[in-house]
Amino acid sequence: MTRVRFAFAALVALILAGAAGLVAPAPAAAQKPGGTLTIVRPTDPVSLDPQLETTAPGAWVYFNMLEPLLTIDEKMQIRPSLASSYEVMSPTKVRFKLRPGVKFHDGTPLNAAAVKFTFERALRGTPPARWASLAGPLAGAEVVDDLTVDVTTREPYGPILRTLAMYCTGIVSPTAVQKMGEGFSRAPVGTGPFRFVEWKTNTHVILERNPDYWGDKALLDRVIFKVVPEEGARMIALQTGDADMVLLPAPAQLPQLKRDPKYVVHEVVGGRVVFAGMNAAVPPLDDVRVRTALLHAVDRKAILENILEGSAVAARGVLAPSVFGFKDMQLDRLYPFDRAKAKALLAQAGYTPGPDGVLQKGGQRLSLSWLAARGRYPKDGEVTEAIQAMFKEVGVEAKVQFLEWATVFTQFRSAGFKDHMFTLGWVTSNADADYSMYALFHSKQIPPTGWNTSRYSNPKVDALVEQARRNLNQTEREKQYGEAQDILAREMVWIPVYNTKEIVVTRAGVKGFTVHPVEYNLWLGKVWLDK
Amino acid sequence: MLTFVARRLLLAVPVLLGVVFVVMLTVELIPGDAVALMLGEHATPEAVARLRDYLGLDKPLMVRYAAYVGHLARGDLGRSIQQNRPVVDELADAWPATLELTVAALVLAAAAGVAAGVVSAVWPNSLFDAVARVGSLFGLSMPVFWTGLVLIVIFALWLPWLPVGGTGSLGHLVLPAVTLALPSVAMVARMTRSSVLEVLREDYVRTARAKGVAERLVVSKHALRNAAIPILTLLGLQAGQLMGGAVLTETVFAWPGLGRLMVKAIFARDYVLLQGAVLVFALAFVLINLAVDLAYGALDPRIARQG
Repeated sequence: MTRVRFAFAALVALILAGAAGLVAPAPAAAQKPGGTLTIVRPTDPVSLDPQLETTAPGAWVYFNMLEPLLTIDEKMQIRPSLASSYEVMSPTKVRFKLRPGVKFHDGTPLNAAAVKFTFERALRGTPPARWASLAGPLAGAEVVDDLTVDVTTREPYGPILRTLAMYCTGIVSPTAVQKMGEGFSRAPVGTGPFRFVEWKTNTHVILERNPDYWGDKALLDRVIFKVVPEEGARMIALQTGDADMVLLPAPAQLPQLKRDPKYVVHEVVGGRVVFAGMNAAVPPLDDVRVRTALLHAVDRKAILENILEGSAVAARGVLAPSVFGFKDMQLDRLYPFDRAKAKALLAQAGYTPGPDGVLQKGGQRLSLSWLAARGRYPKDGEVTEAIQAMFKEVGVEAKVQFLEWATVFTQFRSAGFKDHMFTLGWVTSNADADYSMYALFHSKQIPPTGWNTSRYSNPKVDALVEQARRNLNQTEREKQYGEAQDILAREMVWIPVYNTKEIVVTRAGVKGFTVHPVEYNLWLGKVWLDK
Repeated sequence: MLTFVARRLLLAVPVLLGVVFVVMLTVELIPGDAVALMLGEHATPEAVARLRDYLGLDKPLMVRYAAYVGHLARGDLGRSIQQNRPVVDELADAWPATLELTVAALVLAAAAGVAAGVVSAVWPNSLFDAVARVGSLFGLSMPVFWTGLVLIVIFALWLPWLPVGGTGSLGHLVLPAVTLALPSVAMVARMTRSSVLEVLREDYVRTARAKGVAERLVVSKHALRNAAIPILTLLGLQAGQLMGGAVLTETVFAWPGLGRLMVKAIFARDYVLLQGAVLVFALAFVLINLAVDLAYGALDPRIARQG
């Protein structure tokens, strides 16, 4: 039985997350309470209840109303939220002490029964919560006493703490759920610094300060989330003063806004890696020489400078740096942009120049089919086309087919996916390497089971990823993920291109806001207005 | 007259049933799965299967169609797959905004279009006519999202007279209504011009002028009334067009209408919600056509007698 204190956990997390590199929040000196913050963002929530909604439009709003047991701060450290401490009882059981005296917005006291109710509802509801698949083998919670609760898993689960710190695991008021029925999903009741006021579909959601909040009370009186689908119109709303904060701003306008003292561009490297995936199950990409040749053929610097124009940073591996377990794959050192090297590797693999400039082997042209969506991730179409052109420079033909995301999604997940290449973005939702390393590189996760769309299969990686998943010792886990990433770095099945940045623009008068590497965690509890 | 209306409304029933079937078939045929999209990348196949089963999506198309029509007969439009909310509630949130915008744009299109067309016809090849003709060509050619943004820049950013977007006051309605109406104004103006010009060459207009009727009356009573039938037909078609074509305008001006609801439903493959929205549009088309037919009768008693 190991007693874990937050100070220690925080220290470890701080070391692990050292790469995140964030700006310190504004000094607490001249905070002024009051005022209304108007936020414009492109889409209305599906729901305000994590039971039905795990995507950003809903999460941005409910993250300020519903609080999980733990939370992850902007430096990716695990922090207490509704739980004040925890203790690992066994590999499948963690005991949480709840903060005393906390009340839901409807006056119901927060207790162990409410935690149990929330997890029961999510895991065994009909249907189960949309985040249930995100929670791995989470089994539920057992009441020990009024303020003590045991969270259990069906099998040892290393990422359990980060899972319980996810934005969508907020504890809900059992009385409100029972009283409101399905109405709860449009007017949730939690413990957060803001409480629900009104939701007008496709127009706005309004929140107000929770005067009985257990922690530092919010400074803003109200927050209005407005829907403005058109990017240009969102930026104009900021300029006319109709909005104080823009989510998903127009990238083209950012350089100009950065120079203008009237606005502040908040940005941080997020948790998403956008990459050109290679299908290692189909020739010629089953040959590691061909795959690494393609990595050498791609000038990532040119892509980042000319296409992404500062809205992203070069990917340093298959994980984003903010993710627990990330290891820098040293891509620029291992696979620098070098056409001569690419051609040499392809020659080693037996390819000779063909009559039309495309390499060939035994009469077979080196032609790759490529499936991609356009507009799913920033500039994904342009990036795909750029790589296609770079392939051509070394004698490799790529035939790209762009289809709408819903179609591409179905094809990626089907057992019969036969294309050589695909463009995909992957965000590590619980900020734990398990979520990506297991789903993307374990041989059991080859579609239709999971997202190992590269059809990568290596028993050593399987073993490491499995061990790390079942291990609750975070230091050992980090080493295991490091080893797995070292192996992957030698056998690359991706061309990692970029990490997205989370970007939020505010008026200069909006203070106390820090953008979070996890796009869903839009925390407004410390924001104030200096008009 | 009443039997005419009743017959037309009865005929609408098979039309609506057909619409439901086509929508269902289309969603079935296009790739993409509502549940997989909804649960996202991280969903396990078991979770997807369980939710599909819960929503009844694993049943064959014809079974789902029959079930849907059965519920429809009892006035139940079902529950949206993505929101898990009665479709009726979703539609109730959206259709008043669409109606408001469509009616405003239609009134604008009729008033401005007919006025410009009549003036152009009465003084053909005048300076006004030339400007109106070039203007209508412009109105027809410019895409709505472009005109919309330009209007926002001018009237919300440079001259801060009107709001950037959203709903609430009459001021909020001005820019989206003008943007949406512009192409229709242009079409109505062109149709009115040619139609009135044609009538003005008729013998009975010459007769009216010969017996000394004032030019104002000649134009308004003799010419315009006779030219009205094609204009009315066009307005009926435009009403449908405005409703359906509002998607882009709704997007630019953050207008919470049915068009955006429908697009959202398509991307989510939410066929239940999509069907609800399409049914509202189909019903509106039926009613508009009926209204236009009834108006023909009012304008031209010969048509009413035949009906």
